[in-house]
Amino acid sequence: MPVEAIASATGTTTMEITVSKAELLRELTATQGVVERKTTIPILSNYLFEAGGDKLSLTATDLDLSLRTSCNAKVKKEGACTIPARKLHDYVKLLPDADITIKLLENHWVSIRCGRSNTKMVGMARSNFPSLPAFPTAGVVKIPGQVLRSMIAKTGFAIASEESRYTLNGGLMVLKPESITMVATDGHRLSHVERPGEKFEGVSGEMKTLIPKKCMDELKSLLDSTDAEVIEFAKDESTLFFRIGQRLLTSRQLTGQFPNFEAVLPKDNNKSITLHGDELSQAISRVAQFADERSRAVRLKLEKGELKLSASSTETGESEDSLEIDYNGDALTIGFNAQYILDFLKAVGAGDVKLELKDAQSAGQLRPAEGEDYKYRYIVMPMRI
Amino acid sequence: MGFSDFHGNHDVVQRLREMLAHERLPQAVILAGPSGSGKYTLALMLAKAMNCLSTPTTDGLPDFCGKCSNCVRIAQSEDLDTRFAEAVEARENLRETDKKETRLFVQTHPDVLVIPPDPPQMMIKVDQVRRVIETIYYRPGDAKERVYIFTDSAFVKEAANSLLKVLEEPPEFATIFLLADNPGELLPTIRSRSMTVTLAALPAEAIEQYLAKHRPDWNPKQRALVARLSEGAVGRARSFDVAGYVAARAHALTILHTALRAADHSELFKITETYRAGAEGREKTEKLLRTLYSLLQDLMFLQSGTPELVRNVDIQPDLKKLAEAADFEWIAFAADRLAEVERGMRRNLLRSLSLDAFATALER
Repeated sequence: MPVEAIASATGTTTMEITVSKAELLRELTATQGVVERKTTIPILSNYLFEAGGDKLSLTATDLDLSLRTSCNAKVKKEGACTIPARKLHDYVKLLPDADITIKLLENHWVSIRCGRSNTKMVGMARSNFPSLPAFPTAGVVKIPGQVLRSMIAKTGFAIASEESRYTLNGGLMVLKPESITMVATDGHRLSHVERPGEKFEGVSGEMKTLIPKKCMDELKSLLDSTDAEVIEFAKDESTLFFRIGQRLLTSRQLTGQFPNFEAVLPKDNNKSITLHGDELSQAISRVAQFADERSRAVRLKLEKGELKLSASSTETGESEDSLEIDYNGDALTIGFNAQYILDFLKAVGAGDVKLELKDAQSAGQLRPAEGEDYKYRYIVMPMRI
Repeated sequence: MGFSDFHGNHDVVQRLREMLAHERLPQAVILAGPSGSGKYTLALMLAKAMNCLSTPTTDGLPDFCGKCSNCVRIAQSEDLDTRFAEAVEARENLRETDKKETRLFVQTHPDVLVIPPDPPQMMIKVDQVRRVIETIYYRPGDAKERVYIFTDSAFVKEAANSLLKVLEEPPEFATIFLLADNPGELLPTIRSRSMTVTLAALPAEAIEQYLAKHRPDWNPKQRALVARLSEGAVGRARSFDVAGYVAARAHALTILHTALRAADHSELFKITETYRAGAEGREKTEKLLRTLYSLLQDLMFLQSGTPELVRNVDIQPDLKKLAEAADFEWIAFAADRLAEVERGMRRNLLRSLSLDAFATALER
């Protein structure tokens, strides 16, 4: 039975269940990312527990993001209650590996018994817990979990953290009948990854979705810890839904238009060099030690057969590294933020990368040299140095 | 339930509801008015009207039902003092490391966020505004409109500045209310980005009528007194501490009597002795000083031949006698001395002695 069906079946003021500690703790840990720590708002620091059939469903929310999950339980009395999230998690961690009995008492008190341990905590009225949107019945798209996970890893780091540029505070997911694309940018660099050759049923034309950063992070950690191969995605006017195994992540949608990123993808970068990812990453890390602390700018000098990397600042000194390359074109000097390049090299992993440039004023493009299953490109704006 | 429960300022409420009806309510609104004039009540009412599920209308204008799940949850924020105290307590119970970074909010409905000034400085802080900026671009879930209510105009400088951008261009589904006793306290750049709606002071008669309905436990004389002392603010009138005021006034009168009639000092000393050090003594002293000011003002009214403006109506004959003994110079002099006592209090002068000195200096 899907978790939301349990939720609607309950609504009484009694509840009594028995659940294994290991299973409960696993689900409590999975939801910790959503529970807000630093808040004084009661609904945000409580779990909603709902028992029905042979399942216990747990819900945590920070109002923008909510996560609902479930585990097996012996349900003696169906019902619902709320429990302070932090304390419960801390307490259950310390319990011995045995069955836990959770029972709702009067005035929102909840008793938790395990072996010879007995604890009571006070929750709040069930009705105060925000109602959660229901998973849509139509328009559900199945996405391979590992594909999505890898795409988030390849783009998530490029999302803006500046609060003023709110349309960039998320990644854009574009679903087409035969491909999935994810784009993220903070205005200085843009990460774009496309996976062709998939089949998405129920998608016609182009389906664009802006996924808030918080939701992407949570989604990634859920995908890290699941063995579900396929996740279900759906959305309605205000909410995004991701079903990963028995867990359901919902996020409210951000407003605003993601910028027209296609316009900034460079088309005629004709100076191309191939570099070894690790070597480049090490060289940049070394040189960047001597870059200006605020701008983190390093200079790339492209010459015949050699790429020279250098940085200097008045306080720390100057540093230069050079790499051997196969290049015969015109010389070119261009500046980049070292951190931006390192972020990409970290995401792309081992292997060769291609650096494609046009001139000192145009955006540079980085991509893995060998085309994998993903078309991955990373665009960095140059710096004047 | 509905806007009919809002007392006074009918025109202002009417205008706001007309704007709601035409979907022309600005997204940044400053609600100005003296404390107790109903700014917070009105802001919550508007939040309910925007989000009420049964969307009733009265007189052809949008209203709220007070019974649907949105109305009920928003209404839980009405008792701001209690919610605020709960939030403060919740913060006290957090881990030491989290305490410093946790800011106070009241949110009984997912889409309605109330931002009270953060203690101990009692100002709106930059982290509170940051939270507004972070959440405001999310589409509303349970409601149609996201509503943000800043309950005080005392902003930390950085907080006020960081609010500017979102105030200028909020998403189409969000409305921000800024409540201010004195809108002049807000940055000019905030004021220029918002529409100011002022709740005016109500005439004493209107408040008397209101009190007759809501405070039947008071006798008409008390109601008349409170109506005049509440400076036109319904909220202040409703929760007025009559007994406390009358006690403070008895003391204030004794001080003035001693000064004007050069009576025996023993009674004066007996009174001033009770103004001790500590927080309780400070509150009591402040109350006495405020009362003294109001009595001096009344004496001035009597002196200048405008007895209809006198607030302490119940002791008018007594005041008349006092007014006959005093003249304009004396009243002005007394007000000056009173200001001096007030300054002294801030420097922690001994309360009883300051009051003695005040009373004896006024003797003629």
